[in-house]
Amino acid sequence: MDQSAALDAAPVASAPASLAGGPPGGAARARSGPVGFFLAVLRARPMFAVGYIIVLLMIFAALLAPWLAPYNPVTAAPDDYLQPPNALHWLGTDATGMDILSRILYAPRVDLTIAILGTLISSAIGAPLGAIVGYYEGRSAWRRALSVLVMRAADVLQAFPVFVFAIALVAVFGQSLASIIAAIAFVNIPIYLRLMRSQVLSIRGMRYVEAAFVAGASDVAILRRHIIPNAIAPALAQLSVSVGWSVLLTSGLSFVGAGVVAPTPEWGSMIATGFQNVTTGQWWPSVFPGIALGIAVFGFALVGSSIEVLADPAQRRLVGVKHAAG
Amino acid sequence: MNEDTSPRGLGRREALLLGGAFAGATLASQIAGIRPAHAAAGSTLVIAAAATPQSLDNEYDASLGTIDAIGQLYDSLIQFKKKPDPKVPSVLREDFADHPELPGGLAVEGKLAESWEVDPKGMFLRFHLKKGIISNWGNELDADDVKYTWARKFALNAIGGFIVGLMGLPNPDAIVVEDKYTVTFRPSVPNPLMLKLQLNLYNNIFDSKKLKQVATKDDPWSRKFLENNSAGYGPYELASITRGQQAVFKARANYWGGKPAIDTIIYKEVPTSATRVSLLQGGAVDIALGLQPLEIVRLKKVPGVTVETVPASSMMWIELNTKFPPFDKVEVRQAMNYAFPRDQVMKSIFQDIASPLTGCMPDIYPDFNAKANPYSYDLDKAKALLKSVGLESGFKMEISYNAGDPSQEPIAILYQTSLRQIGVELTLHKIPAGTYYNEVSARKQPMIMFVDAPWGPDPGYSTRLYFYSKSFVDYSNYANAEVDKLIEDGSQMTDIPARNELFGKVQDIVMKEAPWVFVAFPNFTITRKADLQGMTYYSTNAFRFADFSRKA
Repeated sequence: MDQSAALDAAPVASAPASLAGGPPGGAARARSGPVGFFLAVLRARPMFAVGYIIVLLMIFAALLAPWLAPYNPVTAAPDDYLQPPNALHWLGTDATGMDILSRILYAPRVDLTIAILGTLISSAIGAPLGAIVGYYEGRSAWRRALSVLVMRAADVLQAFPVFVFAIALVAVFGQSLASIIAAIAFVNIPIYLRLMRSQVLSIRGMRYVEAAFVAGASDVAILRRHIIPNAIAPALAQLSVSVGWSVLLTSGLSFVGAGVVAPTPEWGSMIATGFQNVTTGQWWPSVFPGIALGIAVFGFALVGSSIEVLADPAQRRLVGVKHAAG
Repeated sequence: MNEDTSPRGLGRREALLLGGAFAGATLASQIAGIRPAHAAAGSTLVIAAAATPQSLDNEYDASLGTIDAIGQLYDSLIQFKKKPDPKVPSVLREDFADHPELPGGLAVEGKLAESWEVDPKGMFLRFHLKKGIISNWGNELDADDVKYTWARKFALNAIGGFIVGLMGLPNPDAIVVEDKYTVTFRPSVPNPLMLKLQLNLYNNIFDSKKLKQVATKDDPWSRKFLENNSAGYGPYELASITRGQQAVFKARANYWGGKPAIDTIIYKEVPTSATRVSLLQGGAVDIALGLQPLEIVRLKKVPGVTVETVPASSMMWIELNTKFPPFDKVEVRQAMNYAFPRDQVMKSIFQDIASPLTGCMPDIYPDFNAKANPYSYDLDKAKALLKSVGLESGFKMEISYNAGDPSQEPIAILYQTSLRQIGVELTLHKIPAGTYYNEVSARKQPMIMFVDAPWGPDPGYSTRLYFYSKSFVDYSNYANAEVDKLIEDGSQMTDIPARNELFGKVQDIVMKEAPWVFVAFPNFTITRKADLQGMTYYSTNAFRFADFSRKA
C-alpha cells in the first residue's frame, strides 16, 4: 500500500464506523442530520422510544425525587405500618411505615449512581486495556506475553459466577456504596476488554492504520486517533446494556443483604425487606419495587438495542429501508 | 391465649387466599421434601424448624436445634412441677416461683432422682437416684453417671464451666459418690442455687458407661461421639440426623416414665419462615417453629391451626458497649433508653406478641424488680440528658444487628428515626447470621442487638450472666464494682428474703446505669395443628416432645 492511498483511505475509515452506513439509511441521515436519523430509527422501532422514555423518567425521578416524593423516604412512621395502597400512600407503606412510592422515586438516585459509575469505571479501564492488548497482540514476544497475561486474567475473572464474585468483593471491602461500585466495575471490565480487543484486532491491519504508522505516528497516537474511535461503537452500545444489568446486580446484592445499607431507598433492598410480608398478604412492599426494577432494566435493554442499531451499518440499513418503505 | 380456629364462611377473597396457601404449601412441600402423609400419621410428629441440631454435645452448642434435641435425649435429676399458664390454660408452665414452705424453697419433683436433701445452710445437696432406669444404650443409671457428668464439665470447661462456677464447686471431688444410688454435691461455700441449677437443661445426666466405652486417648470425654450421638436417659433416642435436612427421634419403649405418646419425631430444617407457614397451612407439618409476628397473626385466622403464645424468658436488647465513647457516660446510655420507641415497636414489629423489656432479667422469674424501670418514651428527657454531658448537638453512631432475624432491621430503622429527633445519627450495620455471634462475643461493636434468655429462673443467675464484669456474656463490657460485690455476696447467701433484697438492689443499679437499650420480652409461641395437645413452656424456650399427644 502506498502512502497516498493510505492517506486517502484514512479520512473515510477513521470517521466512526458507526456513521459509515450506506444508503438508504445514510441518505436519511444526510437529509436531516443525526437527530433526524435518530428519530427515524425511533419511528421504525417504536419500542426503542419506550426505552428512552423509561430511562428519561428514571433520570427525572432521580433528579426531582425531593419534589416528587410525598414523604421522606428514610423516616419511619410506625403508626402507618403496612398500609395497603390508599389515597395517602398510593403504593402503600412498608413494615416501618415508610411510603413505598417515595422510596421507589428516590431509589434511582442510588441504583443509577451505582450502575452508571460502575459501568463508566469498567469501560474506562476495560476499553483502553482491550485496545492496547489488541493492538500489541502478536507484535513481539514480551508484548504477546503481556497480552496473554491480561486475557488469561480476564478468563479467570469471568470464570467466577458474576453474582457470587460481586458478593465476595463486597464482603472483602465492606458494605458501602464505593464497594458496590467497585464490585460492579470489576466484574464488567472483562466485557469491555474483550469487546475492544476483538474490534482492534480487526482494525489494526487496515490500510489507514498502516499509513499512520508509516507516516511516523506513535503507537499512542495511532490508538487514540485512528483505532479507538473506530472500535468504540460496540463498547458504547454495551454501556446501556451494562447499566441495566448493573441495576439488576445492585438490586441482587441488596436482596441478599450485600448491597446498600438499610434504610437507603433501593429497589432490591425494598424487595428483600418486603418479601417476608407477601405470604402474610402484604404484597405491596415488594411487588411495586419489583415492577419498578423490571421496567428500569427493560428500558436500559431497549436503549442498548437502539444504540446497537445506530452503531451497526447493516442494522441501520434495515431500519432505513423500513423507514423509507414506511 | 390467642386462639381462633372457629369455622366461617368463605368469601372470594378468602377462597383466593386459601387457594394461594394451598398452592404455596404444595410447592413448599416439594421444596422441603415433605409428604403430607407424615403429618397425617398419628404416631408421627413433623416439626418445621429453622435449622437442624448442630452438635448434640451440650458442652459446646446452645443453638436452637440443639436445645430442642437435648431436651428429648436426656433427663435431669429433678424437674419443676407444672401449672397451667394463667392466661393460656391449655399451656402448662414450670412453677418456678419461690416456695419458702417447701424443701429447698422450690416446687420440684423427681425425674431421675427419687428424693433429695438440701442443706439449709447451702453446704450440701444429696440425691437418691431411682433404681432400674435404663439409658438408650441399655446401661443402668447410677451415681457414677452423675459424677461423670459433672467431671466432664470441669474437664472441658466450656458451657459447663459457667455452671460449676455458679454451683460453687471447687473441683470434681466436690461431687461425692456415697453409694451406687446416692450422690452428694459439696460446694466450698454456702450456695443457695444448688437445687435450682439441677433443673437447668444442660445439667442432664450422661450414660457414663457408654461414653467411657467410646472414649479414646485423644478424646477422653467422647466429644466426637456426642456430636452425632446421644447417651442419656431421656424419652427419645436419635434415629438419624442429616444436618441441613432433618433429624429423626424415636420414642424409647424402655423409658423410665413410659413410652411417649408420639412414636416418631421428624425435625425438618426449613430455613424460610414463610415456607414453614405454608407447610403448616397445607398440613404437611404439625408444628412450625420460629415464625415472624405477622405470620403468627395470620395463622390465628387459619382453620385447623392453633396458636398459643405465652410470656417467656426471652429478652431482646441492644448492647451499649460501655468502652465506646460516648456510651461510657451513664447519661448517654439513659438518653438512648428514653429515645427508644418501645410501644411503637411492640405494636408494629411484634404485633403485640411481646411486651416492653422493663427490666434486666425476665419478668416471669421470681424476684423480678418491677419498680426498677425508669424508662418511658421521652425525647425531651433524652435531649436534656445529652445536653447535661455536652452532647446537645448529638453524635453519630453505628448499630449492628443480625441479618438472620427479620425483626431486628425494622426495629433499628424505627430507632434510627426516633434518635434523629435528638440529633443522634444512627447508621445500620447488618451482620450475616453466620458471623453474628462472633461479633457479639468479640464486644467490638458500639451497639449490637441481642436476643437471649437466662435459663436459670433466678435473679442471681440472670444478673451474674449479663452484668458481672467477669462473665463471658457481659457483652456490653459493663463493670461496676458495687454490682460485682453484690452479685458475689448474693451467690453465697442462703437467707432468701435478704438475697432477694440484694438482687433487687442490683436490678435498680443496672437499670439506672443502662448498659442496654431495653427492647422487648418476646413471647414464646407455638403454631401447631389443632389436633395436638400438651404444650408446656420451659424457661429454656425449647420443647419436650414427650409432652405432646394427639387429641382423641
